[in-house]
Amino acid sequence: MASQEKSPRLLARENVRDESRSLVTGALIFRWVWLIWMAGLTAVGNEELAREPLAWASIGAASLWTVWLTVSRRSWNKSVMVFDVALCGWLILASGLVIREGDIILGRPFFATGYPLSAPLLWGAVWGPWTGAGTATVLAIAHLLSRPLNGVQLSELSPAQVQNVTGAMLNYLVAGVAVGLVARLLRRSSEALRLANEETMKERELTARLAERQSLARAIHDSVLQVLALVNKRGRELASSDPIDPQEVARLAEIAGEQEVELRSLILRDPVAPPTGRASLRDALEDASRAVTQLKVGVSATGPIWLDRHTVDELQAATRQALENVVEHAGASSVTVFAEEEPDRVTVTVRDDGGGFAYDEAKLQADGKVGILKSMKGRAEDLGGSMKVTSAPGRGTEVEFKIPKVGSGG
Amino acid sequence: MADELVRVLVVDDHPVWRNGVRNDLESSGKAEVVGEAEDGGDAIEKAREVMPDVVLMDLQLPQVSGVDATRAIVDDSPHVKVLVLSASAEETDVLEAVKAGASGYLLKSSSSDEVVDAVLRVRDGEPVFTPSLAGLVLSEFRRIATNDPTAPELTARENDVLKLVAKGYTYREIGEKLFISTKTVQNHVQNILTKLQLKKRYELMRYAIQKGLDRAPE
Repeated sequence: MASQEKSPRLLARENVRDESRSLVTGALIFRWVWLIWMAGLTAVGNEELAREPLAWASIGAASLWTVWLTVSRRSWNKSVMVFDVALCGWLILASGLVIREGDIILGRPFFATGYPLSAPLLWGAVWGPWTGAGTATVLAIAHLLSRPLNGVQLSELSPAQVQNVTGAMLNYLVAGVAVGLVARLLRRSSEALRLANEETMKERELTARLAERQSLARAIHDSVLQVLALVNKRGRELASSDPIDPQEVARLAEIAGEQEVELRSLILRDPVAPPTGRASLRDALEDASRAVTQLKVGVSATGPIWLDRHTVDELQAATRQALENVVEHAGASSVTVFAEEEPDRVTVTVRDDGGGFAYDEAKLQADGKVGILKSMKGRAEDLGGSMKVTSAPGRGTEVEFKIPKVGSGG
Repeated sequence: MADELVRVLVVDDHPVWRNGVRNDLESSGKAEVVGEAEDGGDAIEKAREVMPDVVLMDLQLPQVSGVDATRAIVDDSPHVKVLVLSASAEETDVLEAVKAGASGYLLKSSSSDEVVDAVLRVRDGEPVFTPSLAGLVLSEFRRIATNDPTAPELTARENDVLKLVAKGYTYREIGEKLFISTKTVQNHVQNILTKLQLKKRYELMRYAIQKGLDRAPE
């Protein structure tokens, strides 16, 4: 199976949007509304302002910032938040400076109304209730400080004005915490939805695997039927021909044998869903052995042996090289590949009944015959394991790959 | 004894296959086919009737399975040996057949010489193990050991022997490797088989005790 296939996890993530994102969008829209409102108030009430240039400079900064936030969505980090809170805090403090001295307690709509509230809304939506509460606290303190800046001492406030200031401070907190809680809820439910989706995807994957197997089965059944028909027809023709061509008979036996192997590999086992990201070492070794037609290769294993795909690929490649080596050099009649899984390691042995040789790595090196052995050894060592070759003249050869199992999930 | 023909009962639901095996066995001059059966039930009866030395047993049979027939035949007449000859049987079936008392297992794609040789060896009391069967048996012992630590286990030596069989070594080669006689290797393999069959009985017994089936009805 292609390795670039998307995992169910990834697919599920793409299918389920993080719903809390719409909250962020909402907070940005509010921010624009309040920006326009702030600019409008300043333009209409300009004769009442004490420091008009400072007011417009602050509004200009807020506009640029709002544009940047809107454009740069999703690449925000903590320093963006700190700057935003500082700017909003400044707008609140600035309102104490730009409004004529003492006017701040009149209760009329003024300069920085609304816009700073968008900070706890936004950061609560992005990072949850605690962040919402934190930014709100900063702004609430700024709100309190804006009174003395406007020349109104806190001790001079009437009870009604104290209530007014406290209410405004609490508003920041309520906004930040409430949005934060909603965002957290949305995020958790979309996570739950994502997990559910992932399950569905996994099931679909299994169904797809079964379907693939079925179509494979159909193709193989078809080729089996064709070969049977051929064997039937040619067999009859051969029986009545004289002389009988032994090569033709051998060829018939060979194609029948090929079909037998294919069909057996299909029937032998149920398609089992491998654990995610894993592959069966036994199946991989059987594939490798099927590619060898020159001699009899048997595969034995202590079960399917699920390992991560990379380890399986590497062991399969090393085994393939070992088999090629046997075909070319050993003069063997049969080879057995044995895969054994133990709690902490996996061992693959490739054992032939050929001539064998006196294994001497230094001598092989000198003769320039070490290439393939080195490559096999490299594969085993890259997996953190080792390769051992046992051989003696007339006693066949055994190549053994020992690989430790990594991770406790084993 | 060795000069006597091995008396074989061939069990398979395909007449063509039975014919082929009969030809192979009889043309070897070492065996005679004393009966044929096309189903498990049939095989149990025939075995009782002709008392063969060896039953060549297919596992995929129409009504009574090869595993059940093996169990019945071995229980009935322990001196009759069963050699499983299977084409596409599930691995678990092969293991079940061995647990039920089969003395060996061979793939149908084996050559005629291999089949004849296996029949002779089974008749002489030598268990016929393929490397893949050894792999299965090894994992079966591990499985049972983790599920039930009190069940009978393999000795270290038996474990070594089984691993070497799984790697494709012959009994003679194993004997040379471990500095023991071929006969001793055979004994080890036989003991492994016996333990596997014992395990089966042991499991059944535990099951019976759990369910209270060992007590006489009141």
